[in-house]
Amino acid sequence: MSDPAHERIPEASGTVVLHLASEIDAIEGMVERAVACCAPAGLDRDRLLFNFRVGLTEAISNAILFGNVDDPGKRVRIELRVRPGEVTARVSDEGGGFDPGAVPDPRLPENIAKDSGRGIFLMRALMDEVHFNDAGNAVTLVLRDLPGPSVSLPPPLPDEVDSQPDAAGMPGVERQSGEGEALDGLSREMQLAHDLQMKLLPPIPRVRGVEAAARVVPAESVGGDFYQVLQLPGGRTGVMIGDVSGHGFPAALIMALVMSAAAISAQQGGDPATVLEHLDRAIGDELESTEMYLSLCYCVLSPGMPEVVYANAGHPHAFIVEPSGTTRRLLATDPPMGIGGAPFSDARVEWAPGEDLLLLFTDGLSDTVARRGRKSGEDLVLKTVARNHREPAVEILDRLFEISAQSVPLIPADDRTAVVVRAE
Amino acid sequence: MSFRERTVGRVTVYDVDGQLIVGNRHELKRMMLEALEGGARRFVIDFSRTGYIDSSGLGVLITLSKEVRAQGGDLRLASLNPDLQRLFELTKLDTFFRICDDLGEALDE
Repeated sequence: MSDPAHERIPEASGTVVLHLASEIDAIEGMVERAVACCAPAGLDRDRLLFNFRVGLTEAISNAILFGNVDDPGKRVRIELRVRPGEVTARVSDEGGGFDPGAVPDPRLPENIAKDSGRGIFLMRALMDEVHFNDAGNAVTLVLRDLPGPSVSLPPPLPDEVDSQPDAAGMPGVERQSGEGEALDGLSREMQLAHDLQMKLLPPIPRVRGVEAAARVVPAESVGGDFYQVLQLPGGRTGVMIGDVSGHGFPAALIMALVMSAAAISAQQGGDPATVLEHLDRAIGDELESTEMYLSLCYCVLSPGMPEVVYANAGHPHAFIVEPSGTTRRLLATDPPMGIGGAPFSDARVEWAPGEDLLLLFTDGLSDTVARRGRKSGEDLVLKTVARNHREPAVEILDRLFEISAQSVPLIPADDRTAVVVRAE
Repeated sequence: MSFRERTVGRVTVYDVDGQLIVGNRHELKRMMLEALEGGARRFVIDFSRTGYIDSSGLGVLITLSKEVRAQGGDLRLASLNPDLQRLFELTKLDTFFRICDDLGEALDE
């Protein structure tokens, strides 16, 4: 554990060294201490609480999971250098470093999208610099203060992120419009938060026998939808959709923390309820303090298995769609996160491998499809998927967003998100 | 106006006209928190004239319920139409809120 003698908080600049045992449960407390140590740098609060916190969490979890390989006897060393306007964190472990012969080197661009590189993907998205040492057992993260806006993100606002595995294994990002209109402060922050939301959405891993497509179309003033497809031990696939009740930076932070914690849980191979409990521990305080809550459904598909195991914290729109058009709802197992917390429960639902589709979406989509008569938006989404059941997953998404785009929304637009998965 | 505030005995009642959604949720929140600050402790939100609640609307109801409970008060929801009732069931929020069939039941001690 940390040595208190080294834990003096620097006044304006200085170096702090922290140590922790290789225990996943110790990460959060350590990250909070590190964030407190970095306060004197005077970085923008959002950047410190968000970018630095998530980036450091990823670095430490990589050190524990891939460096020290979960041996609690080995330690992780965190050296923080704090200067006005800049924070540097060097995270090193006692492992042998990356062995390029045994594991794909996550430093290579072609591997960044792979599951083992997910943490690195997030680090690169959030920090100003990310370097690995030659031995592969230390990573250095640098975060600086920026003049002006609190995040450095590429303009313009992407209208849509559309993710499916393509030849390079990276997401196809569609940027449709980017009018350079003048924005007031609030819209500016919203835009930055949206950019962050889009940037954080991970690529979908290529998994043998699994065809997955996902899309988020962000709304103007909301930004809390996300999805995640995870490659799990044993050839299993994890599929997640979430809808954070807030917007802007606080919602984007929840989203990043969920994705980060989910990747760690996935590596540990826990069942869906255990993953939700882990997520709840990671974000419970944040949800509480920001008065937000999160509906989240997490499903696990196993190759050839005739069932889907899932845990659903209050997400209303999760279905299995059979080729006949019959649909079965993955009923919520628990209320949303942020109001009750653990324990969460697993549920199982029948699944025909290679035939059924898993369909997850948020109410932003069903609320904006053209309603006909008394039919609900949800019915139309389900009918559209049933009608296009044999099409590739990405084309099913195209049809869904077409019917949504045609309609004149009666309700102010919310983020619209859908995930479609077919698996053998 | 999306919301009307009235008092029935010691209970503050809100009628939600139309929708409780991302665009108007803050108005309801502001009204109810003001009443809470003013000393009101028993609240009912009447949804008999409400067609739709989105996820943001549910969020504000959760926030309000927590605030009211923290002050030792009580918030009940009344007169949900079958679609809205189903929404609370689908999100398991029927386990979190006291949901009453009609205003009369909600006003009972």
